[in-house]
Amino acid sequence: MKTKLFLLLLAVGAFCAVQPAQAHHAFAAEYDPMKPVTLNGIVTRMEWANPHGWIFMDTKESDGKVKHWTIETAAPSQLSRHGLKKADFTDGMTAVVKGYQGKNDPGLANGRTLVLKDGRSFYIGSVGGPNDGAEPQ
Amino acid sequence: MSCFRHHSGAAVVLGAMCLLVGCSKPAPEQAPPPAAPPYHPVASIREVMNSVIDPNVDVVWNAVKTVIDHGKPTEHAPANDEEWAAVRHSAMTVSEGANLLMMPGRAVAPPGAGSLSPGIELAPDQVRALIDKSPGGWNQFARALQDSLQPAIAAIDKKDAQALFEAGDKIDEVCESCHQVFWYPASGASASAVPASAPAPAR
Repeated sequence: MKTKLFLLLLAVGAFCAVQPAQAHHAFAAEYDPMKPVTLNGIVTRMEWANPHGWIFMDTKESDGKVKHWTIETAAPSQLSRHGLKKADFTDGMTAVVKGYQGKNDPGLANGRTLVLKDGRSFYIGSVGGPNDGAEPQ
Repeated sequence: MSCFRHHSGAAVVLGAMCLLVGCSKPAPEQAPPPAAPPYHPVASIREVMNSVIDPNVDVVWNAVKTVIDHGKPTEHAPANDEEWAAVRHSAMTVSEGANLLMMPGRAVAPPGAGSLSPGIELAPDQVRALIDKSPGGWNQFARALQDSLQPAIAAIDKKDAQALFEAGDKIDEVCESCHQVFWYPASGASASAVPASAPAPAR
């Protein structure tokens, strides 16, 4: 039994070892197109970085608990192309993100649209997302 | 005098004949079989990606970014010669690593390994089939990766953080394009997306 457990842990470790956290994967490898989410909360942090941006958002669950979300966005150049600016991320800002939940991490999402409190809406989807009409033609 | 002329004329003729014989092509010989390449790929493409390309391109990408924490932006960029040198090291590693991807005879994944995301990412034998179907296209993408690093290296040499950030975006475009053709063709791209000007295959 112990041997089997050891081999299992070894296999899991080996699998993790070849999957860097930042490795490039297709949308479908990381996110579930059958799990659309609408996140309404407070943006606490934005990483304006290549190859993807990351929005960190706190939402309030129905039981009152705060849930922390990490939301992948397109590359910064794409965000800029759609009109989003770094200056749009202000302290205490509320926003609505529509996207798809991670397959293995329930706190991970791939963002498709970001709507700010002033009503401005931005496409933030990364390459390879579902053809759900979010991307402007 | 005339005897000398006669002898000298004969010498010229003899010399010309020698030259003709000496300059004529030797009898055709069988071309030697091409020598086996001196290199020997050890790692698979997946291992090269995980061990060489990905960790180093992450260094290039992460070198310049803006983190906005509760509305307060903090710019991140190499701050001294040592940090710029570290980024250059990684950029150069990715640039040369692209050559490793083009080397013929390299397996797609270690023996017995399967898809990392079955049903989404192709299995190694399927990736192999696509590469074999379009080796020129494969090489084209590898060269495009290499070329995409050159603006990054130029930006590093100028210690131009903004230019490095913009170069990072171009590198990402090349990565995504190749992945969609050879690893995730179901996501929309196909081998026909490879530019027609692809260089001749290395094999």
